[in-house]
Amino acid sequence: MILHTINKTSALAKCRELVATGDQVVLLEDGVNLGLEPLPFDVYAIAGDAQARGLAAKLGETKLISYVDLVKMTAAADKVCAWF
Amino acid sequence: MSDILFVFSQPPHGRINAQEGFDALLMGSAFAECAVLFIGEGVLQLVNHQQPEAQGFKNYTLGFSALKDYGVSRIACSQSALNHYGLVEDDLIIPVETLDADCQRQWLSDFKKVLTF
Amino acid sequence: MKILINVYGAPYSSSACVSALNYAEAAIDSGHEILRVFFYHDGVYAANALASPPQDEMNLTLRWQKLALDHNLDMVACIASCLRRGIVDKTEAERYGKSAHNISDGFQISGLGQMIDATINADRVMTFGD
Repeated sequence: MILHTINKTSALAKCRELVATGDQVVLLEDGVNLGLEPLPFDVYAIAGDAQARGLAAKLGETKLISYVDLVKMTAAADKVCAWF
Repeated sequence: MSDILFVFSQPPHGRINAQEGFDALLMGSAFAECAVLFIGEGVLQLVNHQQPEAQGFKNYTLGFSALKDYGVSRIACSQSALNHYGLVEDDLIIPVETLDADCQRQWLSDFKKVLTF
Repeated sequence: MKILINVYGAPYSSSACVSALNYAEAAIDSGHEILRVFFYHDGVYAANALASPPQDEMNLTLRWQKLALDHNLDMVACIASCLRRGIVDKTEAERYGKSAHNISDGFQISGLGQMIDATINADRVMTFGD
């Protein structure tokens, strides 16, 4: 299982086809803005980045996580792919 | 399991990052079993007959033809990216494997580590 | 878990440094080891000792310095990226005849081999791009 990180909206196009069933995807930085759009897979978002942008209550199904959660997800994954 | 997959997704010459990604691949190949996958705008690094010198850029892509000598024997690109840019094999600097999305996902899974540039 | 953290984005023109610092702190607090923090591409600007942001804004270079000091972190800035962007230590400044050096304490200038070595030996690689 791969953990993917996406840090800006334009990076979604890079990794759209590369996220496999069962992989996890975390939005961070400007990437949290993707939580406002329909997405082809479930995502998590860094809570601080969503709060910074006034979006914490606006990201629908997207689960907000802390950096400690992100560290746990890193450990649980086989590897991490960063898209930027 | 092979060691490091380098994924190149940026176009050449607009900024130095694509060249620095290639430098990292060369360094990686000295220590580990590496492969490279070009996706999205990254396939544009493979376009042949580039002439960046006139703009003052180094033509680091000439180094692609030496990748096999560096032990990078698996070189591939996204078929859908080639199609998107209307590129065919004859347009490219070196022969590359072309992969569909399933195969690209398999490549990501096959390597111990993935470095994206 | 041993983690390599790659930082590819410059302070202020990217959020890479902020995210990487937050992640590093969380990883350390969770009991993991940061094998190395490697600064590449514009990320090397984090090592610029001359950065002087306003008092009411974060000083990312100082934040990295403090984290490195508090937790004995190995922070490496890639020499090729540094030289291109004018981040030099005393040795490189002398080698290239520059009037000053500007690398911040806590950072070492070294080669890409340090990133590859850490990539191979880390359990996970966490990259904060620009």
